[in-house]
Order: sequence, then structure tokens, then C-alpha cells
Amino acid sequence: MTETTTAPAVSRAATATEVDIRIEDDATPLVRLIGRTLRDAARAGHVLPAPQESAATVAIRSHDTPQAATITFGSGTVDVSSGVLVESDATLTVDLNARFAPTSDPSGDADLAAGALLALSPPVPDWRTAAEHFWNAGRSVPGFPDVLIAVTEGPEGLEQVVLGDGETHYLIAGAPETLAGVFSGSDDLLAVLSSGVLGIQGTLSQLSVMIGASWKVRYDV
Amino acid sequence: MSELIKPVTGVDVRDTSVRAVRIEATNHEGSFLGKTLAPKKFASGVDSGFAFADLLFGLDLGNAPAFGFAYPAWRGHLDDVYFRPDLSTRVEWEPGLDAVIGDYWLKDGTPVPLCPRNLTRRMVDRLASLGFAATVAVEIEATVFEESIHEARARGYRDLTPLGGSAGTAYHLAKSKDWTGYMNSVADRLDAVGIEWEAWNDEDAAGQIEINLAPGDPIAVCDAWARTRQIMRELAFDLGHTVTFMAKPTAGYGQASHINLSLQRDGVNAFYAEEGPSEVMRHAVGGLLATIEGNTSIVLPQITSYRRLVDLSGPPVTATWGISNKTTAVRAVCGHPSYSRLEYRVPGADANLYLALAGVLAGVIAGVERKIEPPEPVAEMAWCMPPGEITRLPDTITKAAAALEADPILRDLLGAEFVDYWVGSRRWEWMQFHTAGGDPFAELSEWESARYFELP
Repeated sequence: MTETTTAPAVSRAATATEVDIRIEDDATPLVRLIGRTLRDAARAGHVLPAPQESAATVAIRSHDTPQAATITFGSGTVDVSSGVLVESDATLTVDLNARFAPTSDPSGDADLAAGALLALSPPVPDWRTAAEHFWNAGRSVPGFPDVLIAVTEGPEGLEQVVLGDGETHYLIAGAPETLAGVFSGSDDLLAVLSSGVLGIQGTLSQLSVMIGASWKVRYDV
Repeated sequence: MSELIKPVTGVDVRDTSVRAVRIEATNHEGSFLGKTLAPKKFASGVDSGFAFADLLFGLDLGNAPAFGFAYPAWRGHLDDVYFRPDLSTRVEWEPGLDAVIGDYWLKDGTPVPLCPRNLTRRMVDRLASLGFAATVAVEIEATVFEESIHEARARGYRDLTPLGGSAGTAYHLAKSKDWTGYMNSVADRLDAVGIEWEAWNDEDAAGQIEINLAPGDPIAVCDAWARTRQIMRELAFDLGHTVTFMAKPTAGYGQASHINLSLQRDGVNAFYAEEGPSEVMRHAVGGLLATIEGNTSIVLPQITSYRRLVDLSGPPVTATWGISNKTTAVRAVCGHPSYSRLEYRVPGADANLYLALAGVLAGVIAGVERKIEPPEPVAEMAWCMPPGEITRLPDTITKAAAALEADPILRDLLGAEFVDYWVGSRRWEWMQFHTAGGDPFAELSEWESARYFELP
């Protein structure tokens, strides 16, 4: 376990504490996605399951691919590892392209499963905040445009956020919740783009770079 | 001109017996790509080149564009690159069809930095500037199955029947006639096309064969490698069988592509010394080991490549060298004026030999130029060594990509554009594997069979 984040969180008893969220070395995209999501949840003050015993394990399985991971909730720590190599206390089968939405009833400890699902559902920031987060995270990707323009249609007409300054521009347009999902990493940029609800303007190379940037916010790579 | 491939000389493009000319080259994934041209069309583009969409360097093996990293400026929006034939490679492939290997160039006449053949040539030229010429040889390993390619496809390339039976491993002559018949046909076709081969034999896994081509200069050997694999595929299909160069086509044994290499100076083997390795060989080893972690990304290009890296199973797993030690990554063969050489044992059968050789030659060049001294040779078995004793090779596609990204020598010699593109495309491959159906906990997942069995 090398990548760790210490974030404030609230236990089941609603007591603020420090939770160390750790993912394994050379982690898979799913492990990274879970780790990043739990960190967001902890930062947002979401309740993380606090086991009665020394540790409780939750298996997370993708409903349409072999992706699987194990979350171990301990005392002040959460460890996320690839695969399901131990008998878990609860199992969740989820749609990874729908923000961990369960696709079937959880098995095992129902309270633990519900707590894990809640922890995997942090609030999505508003689209402006999310755009700024995306901008800050993506700027380190080589080829990232000088200026990112996010455009949406609000109650009073078109609204936009312009981030950065320079010659190369990239524009992303969509509904506020769509932008918020993509920019925060809650949703997969390519999957959303394929669904036709997002408009983009820029070069092919910039799209490739944007996808690299979206991996940063989604998977923390 | 290659001593391995004997060209068709005196063939005029107006020769009415030639119905078509096939132009050929590998892309970064190692797939052998090309177009079949009418003779008149071929004649019209011999000097100016033939346009290919840049997507030949932009698609992954699942035909999806590789995303996640900046593209070089020349890619534009699916812009063209230009294939220029190397007429010295023109051969009669079959009656009425000639074949020519070439390279990819940009509009401005500079080489496409990702073009594998151009990259190898760049390393050969750099080596020549130091006064050396490389002689290389490659071992081609493949597995042949009884089923036709159509049946293999229908089965998802799984649960196939090894051609020649499942008994015994390595060198057995008690093979059924269909196995020897296939390999005799391959040898006949190699003879007909003018590719010099030295030996073939039963290899370690059921249905597995190894064929050795004659040593030669790097470009010629790479050309012969690409064509030999094409011949093996065409003949397998013709005979109703299937052949694969996957790093691990079944959950059993893997397949390698060992590279043997020596340096000649003024026609003399510069790796030879009466006692042990020469100074040049020692420096070459030093450079190879200094770059071995980064080069692992190039010579183990796919997800499945890393499933081979199992202690005691044959492939090296450590960044080591040794004299006559096949458990190390680099084996030095010393003490013979002709045969003194290095065997680079890391590459999988799925490696693009042009790129693998470019990486290996870059290591050798760095070692010789910078006089890099290697660590002590390993005299013990280099498998199952205690933790901390020795550096292990990167054992996943992401670890190897990170090593290549951080390697200043390979970045300098192979070029930042190639390194960044390669690293980006490997990360894309990793993401595709995990999110599109691959299973890291399977011995060999269906996703891998579907993606890597037929190509590269």
C-alpha cells in the first residue's frame, strides 16, 4: 500500500475522525476509482462505515465486466485492493458507468452494504467548481490546452466558465449535471461523449489529451 | 541489401506476369499492414510514396483509437503518411504477386518518428557512426493448432487442439505428419521467397515450434521476420490450421523472441576476447542493463506479455546478466571468434522485432558510447532470488511504461516523440484491458485471446 490519503470523515456514529484511505501498488482502474471516490466522500463529510469488529470487507463487482475490488473498512483506515480474494462481509454488484448504482440486491451484511453504497455516492460538486477541479488536475497532462471553456444553458441563457489564458482553446458544452459529472470524475468522459449529450470543440489530439485529463480526475492516475 | 532476402532482380513494373504488387510494413503494434496495388499504380508511386491514413499508428488492436495522451503534430485530423517502398526488398511472393517492404515518411520527407523500420535504421546508422555493424538473429516461436482459423474464431481462440499432439516438450521427432507437413511447407515457402532459414524444431509447449532464421544485418533480419510470420499464417490458413504468435496462447507455456546480437568492427567480432567478454561486449551489457527496465515496455508490449514472467518457467524475471546463464535477462556467450554474442532473452513472441531491436541497439549504443560498466555477472540461478538481492523486471504493462517514461537514455536515443506515444498507447492498453472485459485474475482472459491471438 503506497498511495494514501488522509481525509476527515465522519464515522457511523457521526463523529468526525481521520480516515486513512489506501490503495495498493500498481492499482487497477477500479481500485483507483473506488479510492478516489471514497476520498471525495470523506472530504465531503460523508459517513464511512465503521465496523463493530476489527475490520469489515465489502466486495465490489462490475455488472458487465470482470472488474472487482475489495474494500476493507478498519479502525481509521480504508484499504482498497484488486479482486475479491477473501470471503467478504457484503457484496455489491454495480454499474461502474452509473456512479456505482447497484444492478442487483446486495448480499451479506445489509447495513454494511448500505453504508458502503453511501460512501461510494459522494455529492457531485456544481459544474463550475467541477470545471475548476478538472482544469487544475488536467493542466499537468502534456498538450492540455491553454484555455478550457465550459458552456451550459442556465435559467437565464448560456453560461460559461473560461479557465486559463493563451492561444490554444478547448470547449466542452453540456447540461450542468453532465458537465459536473465529467469534470468531477464521477462519469467517464468517453462514455458520456458516446451517449451524445456532450458537445466538444477542439482538435483530435486535444480530445485525446482531455481523456487523459479525465482519467486524472476519475482514476487519479 | 539483405543477405537474407534474395530480391527479384530485373522485374519490370511493365512485366505482364505481375498482376499486383503488395506493399508491406509493420505498425507500432507489430501488425503487418499493407495494400495491394495494380502494377501501374505501383510504378506511379515508387518515388513519391503511397498515402496511408495515420490511423495505422492510431488504432489499438481492437480497432479503437488510442486516447489519453497528446498526439504528434503530424497526425492532424487523420492526416496521411506516406509509404515509400525499399525496392531492394522486392520479391515474387507468389505467381503474379510481388511484395515490397518499405517505410513511412511525412509530407516533408522526414521519417515518421513512430515508424518501426525507420527507428531501427536510425539505430543502425548511429552504431555505424561509432564504427560498428550489428549482426543479429531472432528465434521465432509460434503455436500451431489443428483447427481452421474460422473454427478458432468461432471458439474465441480457446480450447483448440495443438497440432502434432500433446506429448513431450522440445525437440521431439515423434510428431504426427500434419505437424511436420506444415513446417516443411513453411520451409519450402521460405526457400521460394528467398529467406534463409537455419533450423526448426518442436518447442516447449504442445503445438509450439521454433524457427531460426540466418543471422544478418538488423533491417534485413527484421524484414525476414515479418515475412516469415506472414508465410506461417498464410500456410496455416491454406492447410486448414491456425497459428499464433501470442505471448501466451494458452494458460500453459509462453512464447519468446530471443534476440542474439554481436558487433563487428572492420569485419571482426568486437565481442570476442580470449578470456571472457571483450571490453566492447562489457560496455554493451552495461548499456543493455541500464535500459532494461524501460526496454521491457517495448519488448513486452501487451497485457499478456507479462503473464510469461514466472520464475522457473523459462523467461528471465530479473535485470541481470551472466555468462552462459540462460536464467538471466542477458546471456553472454564468450570465447569464440565467431560465436561470441549476447542473447537478449526478455522479448516475447508478440514484440515487434523492429522496435525491439531499436530498443536493444539503443542500449548497446549507450553502453559503448558512454562506456557503461555492467554490474557483476550473476553466476547463480536468477530465478526465485531473495527479495532485495536483485532488481526484478517490471512485471506489468504499467510498471514497464513508467520505467520507459523515466528512462533518459532511451528518450534521448529513440526520441521523445516515440517514447511518449508508446507510453501513452500502453496506458491506453491497460485501461482497455481492465475496463472493457479483461480479467487480471484469469490465467488468460477471453479478452486477451480475442485481442492478441490473430494480431499482431
